[in-house]
Amino acid sequence: MIEVRGLVHVYPDGTRAVDGVHLRIGDGEQIAIIGQNGSGKSTLVRHFNGLLRPTLGDVLIDGQLTAGLRVAALAANVGLAFQDPDRQIFAGQVRTEVAFGPHNLGLRSAALETAVTKALDAVGLTEQGERNPYDLGFSNRKLLALASILAMGTPTVVLDEPTTGQDLRGVERVRRIVADLAAAGRTVVAISHDMRFVAEAFPRVVVMRAGRVILDGTPGEVFAEANWGALAGTYVEPQLASRVGVRLGLGSTPTDAALIEALVKRPG
Amino acid sequence: MIALSTAALAFVLRGWLAPILALIVVGATVARAGLGRAFLPFVLATLPLLISIVLIDVFLYPGATDTIMVIGPLRATGTGLTIAGQASLRIVAFALSVAVFALTTPTDDLLADLERRGMGRRATFIIGAAIQTIPRLAARAGEVADSQRARGLNTEGSVWRRVRGVVPLVGPMISGALSEVEERTLALEARAFSAPARRALLRPMPDDAAQRAGRWLLGLATIVLIVATISGHLALP
Ligand SMILES: Nc1ncnc2c1ncn2[C@@H]1O[C@H](COP(=O)(O)OP(=O)(O)OP(=O)(O)O)[C@@H](O)[C@H]1O
Ligand SMILES: [Mg+2]
Repeated sequence: MIEVRGLVHVYPDGTRAVDGVHLRIGDGEQIAIIGQNGSGKSTLVRHFNGLLRPTLGDVLIDGQLTAGLRVAALAANVGLAFQDPDRQIFAGQVRTEVAFGPHNLGLRSAALETAVTKALDAVGLTEQGERNPYDLGFSNRKLLALASILAMGTPTVVLDEPTTGQDLRGVERVRRIVADLAAAGRTVVAISHDMRFVAEAFPRVVVMRAGRVILDGTPGEVFAEANWGALAGTYVEPQLASRVGVRLGLGSTPTDAALIEALVKRPG
Repeated sequence: MIALSTAALAFVLRGWLAPILALIVVGATVARAGLGRAFLPFVLATLPLLISIVLIDVFLYPGATDTIMVIGPLRATGTGLTIAGQASLRIVAFALSVAVFALTTPTDDLLADLERRGMGRRATFIIGAAIQTIPRLAARAGEVADSQRARGLNTEGSVWRRVRGVVPLVGPMISGALSEVEERTLALEARAFSAPARRALLRPMPDDAAQRAGRWLLGLATIVLIVATISGHLALP
């Protein structure tokens, strides 16, 4: 369980990136954080594993304050995949890269190999195991960075914009990874600008604007017509299906099938 | 320009006088430009180096026999102390001169000036890119280190542990810097960087007769002294 109480983060240059956030993320929940560029999403999640420390307020992991704990210790609880894979990948070989995290957490020999193989399977890079990461394209490097967090087997996985740069197949892959983590009872926090991915893969959506949480609920609640004004205020547009669904009286999270059915049946 | 001259002077000349003069010039510049606060970190940064110089020279200067103090197996020598004092002054004068240069000369001014003086724009770009790269590299290093700590890299503890911890940081730093260079080159070409026309500078540079004279004088003195040192007219200790 992650608990954020009255969190404020001010960067040394005076930027107030997070400005009073209260948030409670239960074990096994999957939540998406959305909001315009610069609204403080990345800054918020970097507090979950202690990379950033609160200017004011508290962050608790499983009831324990992060304040006294080192990042290397928190890493066993919260795995965080960064926005930019190229600031993470260092190894000359894909498998070595994936093994880095779990090795740091103390996994050795057979257990380590298993963790690496499973993570590579999950992102579809099994065949690429012996290659140099920099021979992979950007989207595959992004998946590799994701795999190296998955391999750590942390109870909580935080993904900063996992679908950026992915084609349909890549997005589908990420969606399946989230579903698998959910099935295994692990907590997932994902930052995303892809509203379709958010609405379809996450039962809970948190909307940020200017360092604060302005909406928090199921996709159905958050993308409801009453909130469209608030969403526009943080440059979020509900996916097309939500907007059409609301107009057709199907609610803000219709399934594709229901939507098509209703559109076909519409007179003239 | 003044700062660069003093840096060169401090480095070339030995003895007491030159570095002290250089320090005075540096001090005057800092005071005139009101740089006091920004300057402090640079002064502090030279301290570890200074301490090691003093320790090594005072106790281990080869061939010195004029012992002034004995601590266990170590003998402090008078010669060593003098050398250490001079070396420290030189280092401080050099480092602070470079710091003044960095603090007082906006990159844009330096580059525009170089180009106005007829330096090729490729050379100008390389110098500019090199200077601008430093803060970007620093920011990048922070992020790279963060992402490895997030994967459980322990950067605290024994020396060996910390040295090993550097390995996963080097790769992303270098590859990132290289790919950035490539991207910048492409972006530049797309904006007609190598087109043959001469460019108009958009910003006029303040420059009066006194400034010019001072600069020439210092530059001349620097060259004379460097030549003298190299050709052996001024003895190196
Ligand atoms: N290291 C830093 N120093 C100073 N300001 C920063 C730093 N990192 C981020 N900021 C600023 O803090 C604010 C929030 O940034 P943050 O990266 O958390 O936003 P974000 O919601 O993740 O945006 P994006 O969608 O673009 O990733 C922005 O105004 C940003 O410019
Ligand atoms: Mg971000």
